[in-house]
Amino acid sequence: MNHQCPVCGFAFLPYPPADYHICPCCSTEFENDDVDYSHHQLREAWIAGGARWFFGQPPAHWNPWLQLIKAGYGAEMPWFSRATHLYVEAYATVVAAPTVRFIENGIFAETAA
Amino acid sequence: MLKPYACVACEKVILAKDNVASLISLFNKIVLIVPTGAEIPKNAVSPYQWAVFSIWDTEPGDELKHYVLCTQILYPDGTQFAEIVKQNIVIEPAKRAQMVAQFIGFPVGQLGDYTVLTWIELEGHKVFGPIDFKLGVELLRQEPSPAKVAN
Repeated sequence: MNHQCPVCGFAFLPYPPADYHICPCCSTEFENDDVDYSHHQLREAWIAGGARWFFGQPPAHWNPWLQLIKAGYGAEMPWFSRATHLYVEAYATVVAAPTVRFIENGIFAETAA
Repeated sequence: MLKPYACVACEKVILAKDNVASLISLFNKIVLIVPTGAEIPKNAVSPYQWAVFSIWDTEPGDELKHYVLCTQILYPDGTQFAEIVKQNIVIEPAKRAQMVAQFIGFPVGQLGDYTVLTWIELEGHKVFGPIDFKLGVELLRQEPSPAKVAN
């Protein structure tokens, strides 16, 4: 059974985050590092240090920011806490579909060939 | 054999009871607005939920096969973002197959065109594709708005 790190959100801890086990991702030693600092503070420190993988090689295609988002900590990423906004331009890219159209209210519909 | 009918990126897909899909906010570009001076890491991901919606033409007998839809995102420099999403395709006889690949974040660390690749595997072997389309990421720098001064 895997456990999730309450600091960085790494979801594959082989042991519960306790008893001096160390997260291989953010290096938190549980019941030691998190005695004097909260998980939030430790997470801030890890992010401020570049959110780098701590021990050995990270899993293939590992991404710390995606990991934080999945764990529900997406709002704590520094560039988003400074009023970053996203918007999109809405144009469809349709592949091999000459009889497809997108009507105004967004309902997908099929036109006559 | 499955053949592609449509493949688009959008913010959300809502499937009605009759399986008609409503595609919310189709997009082909994301513009990231950040304050002047804010650093964006090369591997940055925005917490933006989006999806790749695709429809596949089927032929008789496809409903008996265990096709897998694979979706891969490539950075503008060609390197792979996150893991390849693999989903079993449920096919009903004589109907098109609709698939939704969900993503909880969009990579924004590199500017330019990201490539979405989609292909079909059968028993671990690629049997169709990939088909691909581009999603652009632009960056706009914006001066922070001046703080309001209380009278």
